Amino acid sequence: MKMLFHILSFEWKTLWRSNTLKVLLLVVFGAGIYGIYFGKFEIDKQQKRIAKVQQYERQQFDSLMLWVELDTTITSNKEKYQQAVSPTGVGWNKHFTYYLTNNAPPAAGLCLGQRDLYPVYYGFNVTDLARQVNTGELANPMKLLTGNFDLSYVFVFLFPLLVVALFYNLYAGEKEGGTLSLLQSQSTSLRTILFSKGLLRLTMIWLLAAVLLLLSFALQGISFLENGVLFFQWLAIIYGYCLFWVVLMGAAVALRLSSALSAMLGLGIWLIFALITPALLNLFVLANEPLPNRAEMIHAVRTLNGRNWEHPKSFVWDRFYPENPQYNDGDTTNFSKWYYASFTLLDKEANALKAEFEKQVSKRNALLDQWQWLAPAAMVHEKLSTLSDTDRESHLEFVKEVHAYHDGLKELYYARIFKGEQFSSDDLQTLSDKL
Amino acid sequence: MRKLIIKKEILTALRDVRLQVSGGILIVLMLTAVFVGWQGQKQIQEQRAKAQSAMYDTWLNQGNKHPHSAAHYGQFAFKPKPVLSFLDVGLDNYTGISVFLEAHKQNEVLFSAAQDSNGMTRFGEMTAALILQVLLPLLIIFLTFNIFSKEREEGTLKLIHAQGLSMRQLFMGKVWGAYLMVLLIFLPIILLAYLQLDQQSASLDSAVTTKFLLLTFGYAIYFLAFVLLCVLISAFAKNSGLSLLTLLGLWIVSCIILPKAATNLADKVYPTPSQFEFKKTIEDKVKNGIDGHNPSDVRLASLRQEVLDEYGVETIEELPVNWSGIAMQAGEEYTDQVYDAEFTKVENIFNRQNRLSEWAGFINPYLAVRNLSMALAGTDFHHHVAFARAAENYRRAFVKKMNKDMEVNHKPGIAYGDYSVGEEMWSSIKPFQYNLPDAATLLYNQWRSIVALAFWLVLLFSISMTYAPKIPKL
Repeated sequence: MKMLFHILSFEWKTLWRSNTLKVLLLVVFGAGIYGIYFGKFEIDKQQKRIAKVQQYERQQFDSLMLWVELDTTITSNKEKYQQAVSPTGVGWNKHFTYYLTNNAPPAAGLCLGQRDLYPVYYGFNVTDLARQVNTGELANPMKLLTGNFDLSYVFVFLFPLLVVALFYNLYAGEKEGGTLSLLQSQSTSLRTILFSKGLLRLTMIWLLAAVLLLLSFALQGISFLENGVLFFQWLAIIYGYCLFWVVLMGAAVALRLSSALSAMLGLGIWLIFALITPALLNLFVLANEPLPNRAEMIHAVRTLNGRNWEHPKSFVWDRFYPENPQYNDGDTTNFSKWYYASFTLLDKEANALKAEFEKQVSKRNALLDQWQWLAPAAMVHEKLSTLSDTDRESHLEFVKEVHAYHDGLKELYYARIFKGEQFSSDDLQTLSDKL
Repeated sequence: MRKLIIKKEILTALRDVRLQVSGGILIVLMLTAVFVGWQGQKQIQEQRAKAQSAMYDTWLNQGNKHPHSAAHYGQFAFKPKPVLSFLDVGLDNYTGISVFLEAHKQNEVLFSAAQDSNGMTRFGEMTAALILQVLLPLLIIFLTFNIFSKEREEGTLKLIHAQGLSMRQLFMGKVWGAYLMVLLIFLPIILLAYLQLDQQSASLDSAVTTKFLLLTFGYAIYFLAFVLLCVLISAFAKNSGLSLLTLLGLWIVSCIILPKAATNLADKVYPTPSQFEFKKTIEDKVKNGIDGHNPSDVRLASLRQEVLDEYGVETIEELPVNWSGIAMQAGEEYTDQVYDAEFTKVENIFNRQNRLSEWAGFINPYLAVRNLSMALAGTDFHHHVAFARAAENYRRAFVKKMNKDMEVNHKPGIAYGDYSVGEEMWSSIKPFQYNLPDAATLLYNQWRSIVALAFWLVLLFSISMTYAPKIPKL
């Protein structure tokens, strides 16, 4: 034990005198700080967009709240008043647009994940959702391709490189420096010495990871109290991942190759696990397993829409009333009722198809998951992104919320439309509280 | 004498186990990428072509209806998979693949592959481009890092010099030796890739051979520049270990770190507007006029007066033509004008962002070859925009035709439901056809990257020629 301590303290002194080490640590530390800054920058940008959308929605709704109080004996007020109280809107496309936003989860800035691929807000009115959610966010595809320089990138890509850089000459450095024979003449076995050297390096890497993670929480304003578990989950994953690389490099060192060869071997292993296996999986699965043609959904909706209009009104009623008996008062002539009932049919058709597509996509992604263990870097990245709620699943959850919100709106609107009533001030207050 | 050196370098390389292994892996990867990539691309292209023709059939068979209803029923445009995208998938997984074309509004090109995939996509696809841009340079490093330093360490450098060979000749001999090795791996596989192309590819892109040759040439230049750089560093490095570390460090910075940093920085320098702002601006400008002082109802009233005056009548009902048809087409054209201006604004922002990494090609040759390769493979941003424009122009043409028919043939006084046209009208709209931009356009778009590659080659050659005599012999 004393010997181990002795070796450690000596190794620490030599390491600390080496400029290479300082430069390496500084570069990775700098990259980590940039990653923290960049993650925050991106999330702030998304949050600013969200704030703008919310502010716009609030402003618009506040005018409705004012218009409902207007004196309708004045002619010029009439249209505004109607717009506020009519659940069917006034004229075409005069419906109020509601926005639902996907606020950034606390740790989104640590791992931006797939969040940049999807819109963080959807705008929709009470008509069918199907034709309103086919939208994306403006993004330079080049930026999406090169990906984000966030903290998860530093951990997943650069930390393994740091491991390689610190370990490749663990043995060869002694041999080529001429100190190996000196070491071998000691009473302590060479293995113990190499092990303690490795241990010291691993400790340094772990320490750097912990410092960066702590800093990221502090600099991104993530509350420790509320996200303490998340912090330790991140730490555990990163520690495990670094250890995995240390073990790999340890095995490489055990081959006792020259420093040049072990550097090449280390980099080769890094290439295989961080670049080649994920790229091969993507080639076999993504490029060769066909994706559903989502344009089919738009086609199905437009076709059904055409049929709704071409057929007698009973075409819609026969499909709408059995599933929504609460609205059935026997009226089959009212245009508004028919018009809004038809939107429900469109959504039903679209949702059935979407579920079908999602099944197909899940099957394809499950195939990727099945082989994910071949690509530990991608596996860890996906895990971090799941922890931070920035993966594809999190977006699908948001889409589910959008559907639920839309259904809630419909309930309020349809209750009035099917009774031929207007919104009361209380109704508007209820809607306003939902914003 | 030079031939002798080249021969010696190739023989040493061929006998080196490390190079046998890494070269072998590279060849296997490359063959996999080319063959599997080609299969995948063929499948995707077939799927899209099938979807395109199926959707056109629905247009033809939509039955008799009012032309404006048909314009609402709409059409679809599917982006054809560029022929050479199996060599460089570029932005293809991140751009939309189809767009719904309908009256009154410009829809987005939607449904990128990345949106339907989990996080693994972000690690990239194994394509020839990834191998040639990232992995092959690494092989060059393994091949050349000790090409000089080893001779120096073993003391043979001085011996060779004593044979009367100038350092310049020796340097170039080593460069050509290493370069020939690289070409030996690169050329046969790229030739195999070319042989994959079939009749169908030529019909999709008539300039495919030209683009392919340019692509090959671009990579050949990139490799030569890289070989020169590596041999130079090996020639002046204190020892082999240092030479290797320097080269690996350079490789990591230029192939892994810099590209990401450059693109991330670009977004900060030229901020991207949000979809919400984009749509809102268009909506506002259509409503209130481009200058903000020409609201849509005023525009409509003045158009009505113009039309009435033209036909010398007092009311809409007296017009021999359909007023709605005229009004709708005018509305379309105004929206188009607003949309074009806003779309171009966003396009310019993205172009400016991308230009930053094109200029960065002068610092990092990897970026230069990456941009050039994407352009030639038909998977860069310009190609995406070209498709979006082509689809939008197609939309405008068929919507205009529907509006025109309404204006001329749907006589006033006849109810909307009582006027209809049929298949003859639908088939007068030809299927959507999109031709990939020609090679000259691509080269013009990427001139910065081309100049950057040339710059690197010239720079490294002149440094080599100037400093070769000063290579330390001991």
